[in-house]
Amino acid sequence: MVRFKHRYLLCEVVSDDPRCRLSLEDRVLGGLVRDTIARVHGTFGAAACSIGFAVRYLNAYTGIVLLRCRKEFYRLVWSALPFITYLENRGHHYPCFLNTLHVGGTIRTCQKFLIQYNRRQLLILLQNCTDEGEREAIQKSVTRSCLLEESSAGEELSDSGGEEAAEAME
Amino acid sequence: MAAFADLDLRAGSDLKALRGLVENAAHLGYSVVAINHVVEFKEKKQEIEKPVAVSELFTTLPIVQRATSSRVRLYDIVAVFPKTEKLFHVACTHLDVDLVCVTVTEKLPFYFKRPPINVAIDRGVGFELVYSPAIKDSTMRRYTISNALNLMQVCKGKNVIISSAAERPLEIRGPYDVANLGLLFGLSESDAKAAVSTNCRAVLLHGETRKTAFGIISTVKKPRTSEVDDDSLPACKKAKCES
Repeated sequence: MVRFKHRYLLCEVVSDDPRCRLSLEDRVLGGLVRDTIARVHGTFGAAACSIGFAVRYLNAYTGIVLLRCRKEFYRLVWSALPFITYLENRGHHYPCFLNTLHVGGTIRTCQKFLIQYNRRQLLILLQNCTDEGEREAIQKSVTRSCLLEESSAGEELSDSGGEEAAEAME
Repeated sequence: MAAFADLDLRAGSDLKALRGLVENAAHLGYSVVAINHVVEFKEKKQEIEKPVAVSELFTTLPIVQRATSSRVRLYDIVAVFPKTEKLFHVACTHLDVDLVCVTVTEKLPFYFKRPPINVAIDRGVGFELVYSPAIKDSTMRRYTISNALNLMQVCKGKNVIISSAAERPLEIRGPYDVANLGLLFGLSESDAKAAVSTNCRAVLLHGETRKTAFGIISTVKKPRTSEVDDDSLPACKKAKCES
């Protein structure tokens, strides 16, 4: 079968400044990754990785990013990700780093992983949170996610859980 | 399930910053962390109270340190950072250490020779590569990669661990990212993953055997004195069997 095979890198933007995640934009992040690849792997790296490269999904509340690259060059892209140290957007400079959560061959596998990951994060948040109102909100989203898991397999959106978790964190 | 370990977090004087560092490492997925006390020759710090139950301590010395020093026993892992060829040779063959750190911040002043490295691998001594200077500075990156590749050509990727000399929480990277950095350093993919998980565990166990005699007998503090007597009896029996 003739088909271009890709690898999807699921990453989380980690930073101690809460404004860093909110100022995430796909064009900014794409430019940043391309610059880093050029710095680390030089001209060849920049050229090879830019063929199939795209930012497929971006969630500013939870800081989850899904990058796509060609299967032949995904190692080059992945090895350049630890060298990202800051994010620059509209003149604001935020130190941050990318933590790779999962590498998948299709968007669907990454989505499945992300749903499980978000569920685990919700449970961790439930343990850590102190405020009663937040606790109720998180418990509601946990039960809702469990119900959704029983009803449909792949239709669940991971955004809703993520937004509530982000509100609870702030 | 492989347990990932980061065996080098630089300890500043601030306990709170250290706690933040350890929490960040735990959030990223590391199950074992070692806090590094860098000491000069003949000057040792006592153990600090451990903020989290999983942390252990190890020391890195710029020069050779006597293995008979009593304070070494307080630490779980002992590491040496040799700067000349003679010290490297002695560290690999005779010294009672668990890790030999390879310099990354400057051009290697000596060449690696195969015989002492083979002896070190047989003894179970690991070689440590640090990656946080590579993240900060581009000339450091060049030295890191060239020194790492040099080491790989001689030791063929055995007994290598990769760790971050992180001083701030933003300098740590997740375990899969670090395994990928191992690919850049010349390791094969399985070796790189082992460098973050199984080799670290091997070094920890090697540190344990340093505390116990030949890894067979271990003394455990128990509140009742009768238990202590029981510990000594099987030890004698085992010694007889061995001889």
